[in-house]
Amino acid sequence: MEILLQLIISGISLGMIYAVIAFGYQLTFATSGTLNFGQGEALMLGALVGLSLAGSVHGGPYLNYWLMIPLVMIFGGLQGMLVEWIGVRPAIKIKSEFGWIMSTIALAIIFKNVAENIWGKDDLTFPSPLSSTPIQIWGANVQPMQIVVVLGALAMMAAVEIFNRKSIYGKAVVATSNDRDAAGLMGINTSAVITFSYALSSATAAFAGVLIAPLTLTGATMGASLGLKAFAVAIIGGLTSGVGAIVGGLILGIAEELTGYYISSGYKEVPGLVLLLLVLAIKPAGLFGKIAIKKV
Amino acid sequence: MNAGMSMKMRAFSVLALLALFLMPAVISNPYYVHLVITILIYAVLLFGLDIVVGYTGQVSLGHAGLFGIGSYTAAVLVFQLNWPFLLAIPCSIAVTALFGAILALPALRVTGPYLAMVTLAFGTIIQILINEMSFLTNGPEGIKVAKPVFFGHMLTEIQYFYVVAVLTVLSLIVVDRIVKSHLGRAFQALRDSPVASDCMGVSVYRYKVYAFVISAAFAGLAGGLYSYSEEYVSPNTYNFELTILFLLAVIMGGRKTRSGALVGAMIVVMLPSLLSDIDLFREIATTAAVTGVLASAFLLWKKRKTVREIVVPLVATVGMAAFSYKLENITDWRLTIFGLMTLFVVYYLQDGIIGFLRGLFDGAASVVASDVSVPTEKVETVHDHSSAADGTIILSAQQLLMQFGGLKALNQVNLDIVKGTVHGLIGPNGSGKSTMMNVLTGIYKPTDGRVEFAGKIISGSTPSAIALGGVARTFQNVQLFGEMSATENVLVGLHHTFRSNVLDVMLRTRRYRDEELRARIRAAGILEFVGLGAMASEEARNLPYGKQRLLEIGRAMGLNPTLLLLDEPAAGLTAPDITELIAIIRKIRQHGITIILIEHHMDVVMSISDTVTVLDFGQKIAEGKPAAIQADPRVIEAYLGGSVGEKPVPITSAKGA
Repeated sequence: MEILLQLIISGISLGMIYAVIAFGYQLTFATSGTLNFGQGEALMLGALVGLSLAGSVHGGPYLNYWLMIPLVMIFGGLQGMLVEWIGVRPAIKIKSEFGWIMSTIALAIIFKNVAENIWGKDDLTFPSPLSSTPIQIWGANVQPMQIVVVLGALAMMAAVEIFNRKSIYGKAVVATSNDRDAAGLMGINTSAVITFSYALSSATAAFAGVLIAPLTLTGATMGASLGLKAFAVAIIGGLTSGVGAIVGGLILGIAEELTGYYISSGYKEVPGLVLLLLVLAIKPAGLFGKIAIKKV
Repeated sequence: MNAGMSMKMRAFSVLALLALFLMPAVISNPYYVHLVITILIYAVLLFGLDIVVGYTGQVSLGHAGLFGIGSYTAAVLVFQLNWPFLLAIPCSIAVTALFGAILALPALRVTGPYLAMVTLAFGTIIQILINEMSFLTNGPEGIKVAKPVFFGHMLTEIQYFYVVAVLTVLSLIVVDRIVKSHLGRAFQALRDSPVASDCMGVSVYRYKVYAFVISAAFAGLAGGLYSYSEEYVSPNTYNFELTILFLLAVIMGGRKTRSGALVGAMIVVMLPSLLSDIDLFREIATTAAVTGVLASAFLLWKKRKTVREIVVPLVATVGMAAFSYKLENITDWRLTIFGLMTLFVVYYLQDGIIGFLRGLFDGAASVVASDVSVPTEKVETVHDHSSAADGTIILSAQQLLMQFGGLKALNQVNLDIVKGTVHGLIGPNGSGKSTMMNVLTGIYKPTDGRVEFAGKIISGSTPSAIALGGVARTFQNVQLFGEMSATENVLVGLHHTFRSNVLDVMLRTRRYRDEELRARIRAAGILEFVGLGAMASEEARNLPYGKQRLLEIGRAMGLNPTLLLLDEPAAGLTAPDITELIAIIRKIRQHGITIILIEHHMDVVMSISDTVTVLDFGQKIAEGKPAAIQADPRVIEAYLGGSVGEKPVPITSAKGA
């Protein structure tokens, strides 16, 4: 019973990471109808830059973990803007879906390769800012960092939601999501909004990266599978629903931990991907998504 | 010109074949022979991948997985059961095709980024399974496979080269036949407009699965051959990087061409060896930079491009050259170079190298697949449907309710269409006309109520089933298959006349050739019928707007409909075009085909309709003869505002708001 509880708790913390990345997918999809296939790489770069700042790989530590987070998020934002500028904007201009899919993938492999050349191909340990002595909760061992992950992820999503609902800039984002052309006609600089959504999306991914890094290892290859599984989460929950991202994240995180323990750790990745295939085959709009009616 | 072209093509093909088969005599170094074998194997896979990427326009990130399935099927059969080459390879093809079908199932309902991610997930699962199912695949250790043995003799590298070469040439012929047949046209149609494909009776679902299965079969063949070629398979070969490499090859070589696939295969196979030599890479990068600078200078001087347009690629190529001199170890940066090449190709070389060369040499001329010159045989182009049954009800909608959330786009509408008539459907914008069209053709499933057509209930059927039942339509916003010629567009409408299956196409059986010939003659006749005979081989997207609308009608006529739904056919047309349109509608009607006409041009509707139904806010407010409708106060109110009882102003020509 304790083992089950323990697995569920690690599942929740992993799931919240997926939820944050999935949330990032939703942000860009809402404003521009495009996705960054390199979302996992944004996370990876965030974690590695964080490691350079707060760890000792590049002569550091220069900053403590908590002060490093805002810097990493700024870096993530800039990286997202770069992706939008090189990979997405030209594709939107020529209305080529193939274009942005391929170019964000291309950028993702470039980022991964660059990271390999800067930080090496091996996984590195990320110093944990909190003691790794577990806390006992109903007999299950919980690492303090896991609690931080859950709280941090929720806080990040809440912050973005509040920004969107309360501030005038947020309203521009929401307006652009609802109808890009109409928002443009109302004087909203929609292309700036799209750039901003990419910056925000990559910043959340980078944030997720530094959150998860102390719990796992960091390395150039950490992004790809996280990105793919977060996409599964975004689909399971529905690309339009924030609650969906959280529920999807929890489902996947817990399913993965259980599979890893009860079946084999080699199959850990499988449930997410199978869930993705199933949801798309049965309810493509996701559990919480709305089906858009196609106008002919 | 076509004949000359095909002569040239034929001569070229013969030369290429000769070169291919004489190659081992010239190059005997086993390393290079192996390289050429790899290129050919990749080319086989790319022929298949191009069907999905180039023809149906979907991004597949799962082809490395399919390639892996092909490889492992052959390897496992050899390793576990000791099966011979001649059994193992067909199994590779069959098993991989089966997996292609499995992959297509979830992929059925999704497109674009979703499909890309689904295929990526599929590829990842395959790699995990190969790794984990050690009892079958020997896990991460991989499997050793010896070269095929025939009659106790094990093939040498050069003999194996011939096996691969023959299979590559066969694959090329088969793929070429498939993509130029009605199947290939269906693939392209669903790329350009899925909705229109469905409404032409070409089921998007079914043909997407076909495309994946055929594509997977080639990946399976390539995979099987690859196992024997490498003599060793291991799970790590079939990774994400390989998938990207395949896609890069297809788009870099050029979509929708076999030569593009060959060029692409050559590039991606040679690239790693080129990239292992830093000096060579520096030379190439420098040459590219110099060419880039010269080409940009030329384009600027000729004022064909602006500085803004060329600055990014120029900086990229020059930057690459500068970067190449700073690098010491190029292999570490291999993926970055792939990535940069992909970016470059996606934005600056969209038609690939072959497309670029074509554009350079023969300007605009796009080669349209073997057009039949003049119809020789007499084939009835437009079937006559007039019969004794004229005057009966052909289509009857009862109590139709279509609800979108809280909005009732159609509210309890009854509609009876009399056979052989032109039935006008008018109403202000947002009154539910197009919704009605979409319900009748099966694009929307009505919330309630039913539609009966020719005695059968069709509400709830799929659009393609309804279309095959004899209901054809055109679209308010033109939905042509843009990259296909006018003839090919009509041929998609004639898709239902084909009974040939994929085997008929591959073997070019008599049945297939007859059907193709008959369809082409009929297509030519239909194009004459709508007055587009002179523009038969023009790409649809290049036709003037008015002609595009006529082509849509022609394409719908290909379905041989008993009921034709025209959704604002006169929208955006000039006055002479409208006259032509009215004449064509009259001609269609003379053939006994019933027409439902949605139109805002009142003079058009009133002059050719037998009956007119008026919708407003999803409800039927009037129905009757055109003259009666024009005088109906409720109709006038709906169009012009004001209240009932005011002096009615007869409508002569009013455009909806």
